[in-house]
Amino acid sequence: MATLVSVYDMPSDVSTVVRKLKSRGFEDLTTYSPAPFEEIELAEDPKPSAVRLFTLIGGLAGVVTGFGIQIWMSMDWPIKIAGKNIAAIPPMWIIGFELTILFGGLLTVLGLAIFAGLYPRPLDEHYSPRFSAEEFGVVVRCEDRDVAEVESLMRGHNAKEVTLAASH
Amino acid sequence: MAPPPASAVADAMNAPAAPRDSQTNIDIMAVTKGFHWPWLIALIFAVSGVAMAFGALAYETYAGLGVAGYQAPVFWGVYIITFVFWIGIGHAGTLISAILFLFRAKWRNAINRGAETMTVFAVLTAALFPLIHIGRLWKFYFLLPYPNQRYLWVNFKSPLLWDVFAVNTYLTISVLFFIVGLIPDIAIARDRAVGWKKAVYTIVSAGWQGTGKQWKAHNRTILHLSGIATPLVLSVHSIVSWDFAMSIVPGWHATIFAPYFVAGAIFGGFAMVIVVMVPVRRIFRLEPYITDYHFENMARFILFTSLICGYAYGAEYFIAWYSGVEPEQTSFWQRAFGPYWVSTWCMIIFNVVMPQLLWIKKLRTNIPFLFVLCFFINLGMWFERYVIIITSLSREYIPAAWGLYIPSTVELMVLTGSFCWFSMFFLLFLKMFPIIAISEVKELEIHARDHAQGGGH
Repeated sequence: MATLVSVYDMPSDVSTVVRKLKSRGFEDLTTYSPAPFEEIELAEDPKPSAVRLFTLIGGLAGVVTGFGIQIWMSMDWPIKIAGKNIAAIPPMWIIGFELTILFGGLLTVLGLAIFAGLYPRPLDEHYSPRFSAEEFGVVVRCEDRDVAEVESLMRGHNAKEVTLAASH
Repeated sequence: MAPPPASAVADAMNAPAAPRDSQTNIDIMAVTKGFHWPWLIALIFAVSGVAMAFGALAYETYAGLGVAGYQAPVFWGVYIITFVFWIGIGHAGTLISAILFLFRAKWRNAINRGAETMTVFAVLTAALFPLIHIGRLWKFYFLLPYPNQRYLWVNFKSPLLWDVFAVNTYLTISVLFFIVGLIPDIAIARDRAVGWKKAVYTIVSAGWQGTGKQWKAHNRTILHLSGIATPLVLSVHSIVSWDFAMSIVPGWHATIFAPYFVAGAIFGGFAMVIVVMVPVRRIFRLEPYITDYHFENMARFILFTSLICGYAYGAEYFIAWYSGVEPEQTSFWQRAFGPYWVSTWCMIIFNVVMPQLLWIKKLRTNIPFLFVLCFFINLGMWFERYVIIITSLSREYIPAAWGLYIPSTVELMVLTGSFCWFSMFFLLFLKMFPIIAISEVKELEIHARDHAQGGGH
C-alpha cells in the first residue's frame, strides 16, 4: 500500500479532486482543512452526519425525564397548590422544555465527540500544522500500482505538492 | 512494488522546512502573546474588586442578610436586580452565535467568540446571585430536586424553580456552544505553541485536526446547538420575567413581561458587547477583523431593540391607566414621580431617548460615541430592573405597608464585585484563547479568494 499526501490552496480544488478520486474507486482518503467548507464535506461524504440522531434521542430523553420527574415527585409528596391538580401538566411544560434542550444539547456534543473522534490522542501521521494555517491536505491510501494515476489526478487539480509518504 | 513517481519524491525532498503561517492566525493569536499594560492594569483592578466583594460577602455571611439593606416590604434588592441584569447581558452571545448563524449572517464571524465568552461569564456571574440572595450559601442545594429524609420535593408550580432549571440549562448549553466553537481554534494554538502551553492545548483540543469527518460532525453540532439554543435563549429571559409576572404585585402582573424582558436582554447584551469589544479591538489592534461595519450592525440591533423597550414602557403605562385598577395606577405613578423617580427617568432617557441618536449614520459609525452610549445603556438597563423590582415591592396594595429601600454598602460592594468578577474571567480568557473565531474568519477569507480565482460556485 502507498500513501500520497497532497497540498492545495483552494477548497474548490480539494472538493473536485476528492470527487474524482472517489469516482475512480479511491475511497480510503482523508482531507484536512483550516476551516469548514461545505463543498469538501459533501464531496467526501454526502450523507448527513449521524450527530442529528443523538440530538433527537437526547431531546426525547429530556422531555420524558422532564415530565417523568415532575409527575413522580408531585405524586410522591402530594400537596395541593393554588387549587391545581397534584400533578398539573401545564406548569410542567416549562421544565419539560428546558430538559429537552439540556439533554438534546448534551447528547449532541456526545455525538460530536464520538463521530469526530474528539478525545486526547496522538495526531495523524500525515497531519501538518500547515493544515491549520491556510492550506488544505488530501491524503490517499492506494495500491502501489495506482500511485502514478492518483498523483496525476492530484497534480491535474492544482496540487502544489504531492508527497509519497509511505510505500510498503 | 512499483517505484514511486520521481516528481512525488522530488516534492518530498523539496518540501518547505517551515511553511508560512496564516496572517489571520498570527494577528489573532498575538492577543494571547506578549505583554499589554492596559490588560495588566485592568486585571489588577478586577482582582482587587473581586477580593473586596468576597470580603463583603464573607461579612454578610457572618453577620446575616440584615446587612443587605432589606427592609419591609422590600426583600428582593440589588442581588435580584443584578441577577436579572447579568442574565440579560448573557443573551447577546447566544443571539449572535445561534440566531445569526441560523440566518447565515456572516458578519457575526468576527464578534461571535467575544460575545459567546461574554455570555458564559455573564451567566456564570448571574448564577451566583440567587445563591448570594438566599444568605445561607451552603443551603443552595435546597433549590434542586434531591432525595432527602423528609421525602419533600421542590414545588414544580413555582416560577422560581423554573428559573433554576432555565438558568442551569442556559449555562450548560452556552458553555457547550462556546467549547465546541473553540476547539478548532485551540488546535491552531496547539500547532503553534511550545512547552507547557502546547501540552495544555493538546489536551484541550482533543485530537482536532480539521479532517472532513471532524468538520462535518462539528458543523452539524453547531447547527443543532444553534437550533436548540434559539428557543432556549428566548425561554430563559421569559422565565426570568415570570418570576415577577406570575405574582399579583402591582407593576409585575403583566403579560407583556416575557417579550419585554427578552428585547431588553438583547438590547443590554449588545450594548455590553460593544462596551467590551471597543477597548479589546483598540488595545490588541484587531481593527482589520472587528471593523466599523460590525459595530454599525450591532448599533442597528440596539436601535431596534430600544424601540421595542420604548414600546413596552409605554404599553405598561397605558395598560396601568386603561385597566382602571387603582393599585396598578398608583404603582406606575410612583415610579415616575415617587421616591424612585431618578431611576425611572434614567431608565427612560438611557434606554429609549439616547439610543434614538443611532438613527444618524454619523453617530452610528462613531466608535467613541457608541462606546459612551452603550455604557449608559447598560446603566439604564440596570436601572430598569431596579425600577421594576423596587418600586413595585415598596408600593404594594396597602399604603400602611409601604416602605423605602436603599441599597446598603455591602450590596453595592458585591454589585461592583460582580463587574470585576466578570472582567477578571474575560481578561484571563483573552490571554489564553483566541478572542476571534479564527477558523470562521478564515472560512470567509479563503472563500473570497477562491471565488476571486474562479473556483467555487
